[in-house]
Amino acid sequence: MAGTVTLFDPTAPGRVESAQTSRSMSGLAGGVVGFIDNAKPNFNHLVDDLAELLMSRYGVVRVIKRRKKAASVPAPEPMLREIADECDLVITGSGD
Amino acid sequence: MNAIPAAPGAARFEAPDDFDAINRIYRERRWGDGLPIVPPTVERVERMLAQTRRARGDLVARIAPGYGAASVEHIAVNAVLAGCDPEYLPLLIAATEAVADPRFNLQAIQATTNPVAAWIIVNGPAAQRLDINSTFNCLGQGAWANATVGRALRLILQNIGGALPGEMDRATQGQPGKFTFCCAENEAENPWQPLHVERGFAADCSTVTVVGAEGTMNMNTHSKDAEELLRVIAETMMHPPSNEYCHSGEPWLILGPEHAEILSGGGFTKGEVKQRLWQLSKMPAQRMSVKDLLRVKESRTEELGEILPDTLLPIALRPEDIQIIVAGGPGTHSVYVPSFGNTYAVTREVEFQA
Repeated sequence: MAGTVTLFDPTAPGRVESAQTSRSMSGLAGGVVGFIDNAKPNFNHLVDDLAELLMSRYGVVRVIKRRKKAASVPAPEPMLREIADECDLVITGSGD
Repeated sequence: MNAIPAAPGAARFEAPDDFDAINRIYRERRWGDGLPIVPPTVERVERMLAQTRRARGDLVARIAPGYGAASVEHIAVNAVLAGCDPEYLPLLIAATEAVADPRFNLQAIQATTNPVAAWIIVNGPAAQRLDINSTFNCLGQGAWANATVGRALRLILQNIGGALPGEMDRATQGQPGKFTFCCAENEAENPWQPLHVERGFAADCSTVTVVGAEGTMNMNTHSKDAEELLRVIAETMMHPPSNEYCHSGEPWLILGPEHAEILSGGGFTKGEVKQRLWQLSKMPAQRMSVKDLLRVKESRTEELGEILPDTLLPIALRPEDIQIIVAGGPGTHSVYVPSFGNTYAVTREVEFQA
């Protein structure tokens, strides 16, 4: 029977960050919701429908919609700052 | 001097001392690329680490999308897996640093549905020192350094970055270059400045340049006329479902030495070749599909103003964004390497031990 040998695991642990939101939410009523549209086709239609539902059914007072230039680039800093300052909840588009 | 951040070392484990059993373990844990691996024993990893002045625990970069910490030791382990000679380690440290530069946009390259490979171009004395092929079949099989260095970078991207196919690597088809994609520039037959000198490095400095490359398109033309050669190259670059025309990008050309000689003999500098190709490859926006044209408008209106059906889309923001190297052996072939679009090549100096 073969003996044993010490080998290395080639993977590395990912970044561990505590996922804590800066503000907690007890509900959507009275809140402001932001969307970052990743510029994939039709995401804007989904956002329009969701915005209407959030306001008519869940009492959201305002929805802010912003669009990136393309899915493959990060949202620009000013857009992130604006949406972080204004919103209680942000929904970002990812993938198709 | 800034302290170099430390990273945790690679985990070790005991396995049966049997090649087939070891390969089964790496296969089951998805620590490979589909080809058999060289077992990363302590002895092999130590031999690899002896080729760099850097400490094994130095953090070289964090690799998207999982942002795993690539320590020198982790890079060495993956280099062993790929079959690299220990002398190749400094190239891989530089390439790992380069792919993590924000301009390369690794997060998008790793996770996209597009078939993006990380192409490594080696310039300077390292090419000869490490026997990296820049001539016949330089992107094909047969050269140990080309094959294993490119393979090692893929394993680093997959194992340390966490981009497993079908999971965080969402490539629809991928491409064979994702196994390995590495060559040197044929500087001896380049009538112009080599790539690294053009990018601000000394001629006697060794560099690696990483490119987010979407494939290789052969251009077989027997033309001996510089103007005509530029025209057919430009026409190859023009294709409607292109990330470059959609986002403006950094298209790459590998000119075979014969084609480079014709262009140079025709009186063109490298800069003039880029300028002419940029003009000749402008494509009417209406050649794109309606849906794609909407994406172009989102992505490029800021750059180009209002985009109408007859607007001529340049392939890149500026002529100098068209990138050119000379590589390959004799023959009437050059290669168009379309890029991912939202990525820029990054060059890093290679630091050898002595």
